[in-house]
Amino acid sequence: MIVDGEHTFPGPRQTVWDLLQDPEVLAKAMPGARKLHLTGDGTYEGVIRIGVGPVTAAEWSLNVTLRDQVPPASYVMQVDSKGALGFTRGTATVNLDEVDGGTRMRYHADLSVGGKVAGVGQRLLDQVAKMLTKQGLDALNKELESRLKAGPAGS
Amino acid sequence: MRSYVGTSPPRNEDRRLLTGQALFVDDVQLEGMLHAAFVRSDHAHALINGIDASAALGRPGVVAVLTAADLGDYWQPGPLLVPPPPIEGIVFNQASQVPLAKDRVRHVGEPVAMVIAESRYLAEDALADVVVDYEPLEPVVDLEAALAPDAPVIHPQLGTNLAAHVVQRHEDYDAAREGAALVINRRFHYDRGAAAAMENRCVAARWDARAQELTVWDTTQAPIPIRNGLARMLGLLESQVRVVAPFVGGGFGPKIMMFYPEEVLVPWVAIRLGRPVKWTEDRQENFFATTQERSQIHDAEAAFAADGKILGIRDFFFHDTGAYDPYGLTVPINSQCTLLGPYDVPAYHSEFRAVFTNRTTVTPVRGAGRQHGVFVMERLLDIAAKELGLAPDEIRRRNYLRKDVFPHTFQILFQDFAPLYYDSGNYAPALEAALDIVGRDTFRTEQRRAREEGRHIGMGVVSYVEGTGIGPYEGARVTIEPSGQVRVATGLGTQGQGHYTAFAQIVAEVLDVDVDRVHVVTGDTREFGWGTGTFASRGAVVAGSACHEAALAVRKKVIETGARVLGVSPDEVELADGTVRVRGDTSRSMAFGRLAGEANPLRGAVVPGTEPGLEATAYFGPDHGSTASGVHAMVVEVDPETAMVKVLRYVVVHDCGKLINPVIVAGQVQGGVAHGIGNAFYEQLVYDESGQLQNASFMDYLLPTAMDVPRVEMAHRETAAPLNPLGLKGVGEAGCIPTGAAFAQAIEDALPHLALEIREIPLSPNRLWELLRAAEPAGALTRLA
Repeated sequence: MIVDGEHTFPGPRQTVWDLLQDPEVLAKAMPGARKLHLTGDGTYEGVIRIGVGPVTAAEWSLNVTLRDQVPPASYVMQVDSKGALGFTRGTATVNLDEVDGGTRMRYHADLSVGGKVAGVGQRLLDQVAKMLTKQGLDALNKELESRLKAGPAGS
Repeated sequence: MRSYVGTSPPRNEDRRLLTGQALFVDDVQLEGMLHAAFVRSDHAHALINGIDASAALGRPGVVAVLTAADLGDYWQPGPLLVPPPPIEGIVFNQASQVPLAKDRVRHVGEPVAMVIAESRYLAEDALADVVVDYEPLEPVVDLEAALAPDAPVIHPQLGTNLAAHVVQRHEDYDAAREGAALVINRRFHYDRGAAAAMENRCVAARWDARAQELTVWDTTQAPIPIRNGLARMLGLLESQVRVVAPFVGGGFGPKIMMFYPEEVLVPWVAIRLGRPVKWTEDRQENFFATTQERSQIHDAEAAFAADGKILGIRDFFFHDTGAYDPYGLTVPINSQCTLLGPYDVPAYHSEFRAVFTNRTTVTPVRGAGRQHGVFVMERLLDIAAKELGLAPDEIRRRNYLRKDVFPHTFQILFQDFAPLYYDSGNYAPALEAALDIVGRDTFRTEQRRAREEGRHIGMGVVSYVEGTGIGPYEGARVTIEPSGQVRVATGLGTQGQGHYTAFAQIVAEVLDVDVDRVHVVTGDTREFGWGTGTFASRGAVVAGSACHEAALAVRKKVIETGARVLGVSPDEVELADGTVRVRGDTSRSMAFGRLAGEANPLRGAVVPGTEPGLEATAYFGPDHGSTASGVHAMVVEVDPETAMVKVLRYVVVHDCGKLINPVIVAGQVQGGVAHGIGNAFYEQLVYDESGQLQNASFMDYLLPTAMDVPRVEMAHRETAAPLNPLGLKGVGEAGCIPTGAAFAQAIEDALPHLALEIREIPLSPNRLWELLRAAEPAGALTRLA
């Protein structure tokens, strides 16, 4: 499954980069995250709870590694998630460019989805992926806005 | 004399089925029964680096969690059910399924661990607690890429994904081709579908320690081989194992696969734990773990004379056997042999490669490879007919085997290891009959009229043969009980074919008793312990013939015992209405029940050389399978804008030899056509490039409904088979074999203005829409519609 798109954050690239590399922010922005913590070397471990259409919400163990970081321009997320209903694994490439009005994020994820969730949830997977992506980006936006608001006072 | 064969009395089994008194395996409820659930692979191809079941074992209500390592010596790959035929130069690489994946999984849904718990709910909950550490491997899905030198290998011990390579030849194709006026060369695709039986698989087992007996209730089509195999694997006497296949809600082939992992594990764990265990497959599991058919890719060539006569056929094909090949080569051999159809093919070269893939194992599903061959042949004929300016019916008419050529033999081996043998047949009249029913004179007028209204209707007419009723043998025991009722026991399993009635009709006619006084029991190894199973459209032919032989033997005993009791010679008595009586003197008679008592006296001596009771057992094994045949005609309406196809009429003229029960035959044909229509236009198991099934539910896997399948207009022809006493041929698969071919021809006929050539099945509205768009420049369709 390919999930790709772009999103413009209303803030400078370095601020967006810092945001995206902050473990606490990621834990907040990850849809359905029950817990998510950094274990070291840029690897996050945690549990998320997500359902796909007819597949009841279930817990998935989640393992995310950030690598190939080129601050503040690009990095790769390696995702490995599994649960009783199947698995999702693959990589997402994230690129940040400066554009008018802020920072444009372009993302391209190539994920393989297996097991029950692939067999039964197929026709909803794209929609669910889009929905989860939007939830995550909205949460990041909110976090960015509060940082920008707090930023001038703090600096 | 009662005459039952050829009539349609109400079915003996229907009262039980319709009043909820028929036993299905899931109805089995036993004291202290535990329930099994299976951890199944999410990966198509992966190494197993470890399994941690500790959390599952700690869950309340969980009794055991078993992995391959826990099975000890009981862990063995399954048997090779059907060895490859003795074809010269054959390559066959065996890799049969295992009870639980040990170090590697080879398809999504392959069982990895078994959880036993106090309830199915608890067992299912515990599945999530079992942690399997997989290391994904590159999956093998594409049939041709699987054979590339650098392809990942599914069975490392074989060093190749090639499961088999088989070449069969009838005469010299290359020589035949030299004189050809027309050579057609095409690639055809046939993709996977599910059997989709209404009842999923189910196994329940109980070990009775005091009786030292194992009872297994199983939805199998082959209870006796299951008993024999379980006894061998478990180290028990065959007499210590009773396998019961009670009423089963549809078999269609996958239920004769032996042995499914669950079938091996449930009895074993029931013995080990000393408690009954049951497992009922859910629909999800069925999509992943019950065997399927039928991906093949054919590169076929046909050489024709200018008058449309076939000079020869050459076919190379790839056959997808899935992750394992326990069923040997039955499916591709059926494709190879059935391609020839009812036609006079002077030369044939057929070569196939069976290929392992990381998809669910392939074993026969209704049609069992025959539809692939028929699709290829019928399409080649249609393409040639267009080239030569012949009508589809005319090119077939010119190529049918004449009725005086039987028995007809091709020099290639069939699935029963004997040369392909057509015992009898009369093909051309079936075509004329089908055209008469569909209205050959009026159809073209209707079609033109419809076209003027902007509607696109088309007709397809295709032919097929079906090798049925193969050996090795079946048996039956017929007993007249002291109540006067007759009991028939046979070893087959029954999955809705009406065996309780059809076999009763055969016996009732021989013994001249009412058909509802003949009680048939099938599928219980305690009742009858010799036989093979229900497959290859053989139940009526082979077990039916055994019932007939056994009934004749009982009839002889009735005559001999009756004559002795009535004090006359055997040639002076006759059977009438459940009695034996002196011919011409109806006052001197004895009812069968009393006679059964006389044949089993409590005092006096049994006459030396005779046996007590009115009972006989007989076996029947035909020399060859009997070849059924038929013609299907289909009228469809195609909406060129949406590519939706409506089946307006479906005509089947078929010849399954002598009919035992026309209503049951009609049911078989109607059901087969439903399967065929599903296969042609609705059903397709869609796998992605990583071997993940994408539509594993009835939300996404479309079955045709009653709205999509018209009532089939049927005509029966009876060319008696000389291979069995009643002249029977099988009919179980006839309805679904040529349906794809008929569908393709009908769609092309509905859209003659398009350069449309259908070379694949299944189609779907989506796929057909793509083909329609590709067949014409954009805009043309709207203009025509």
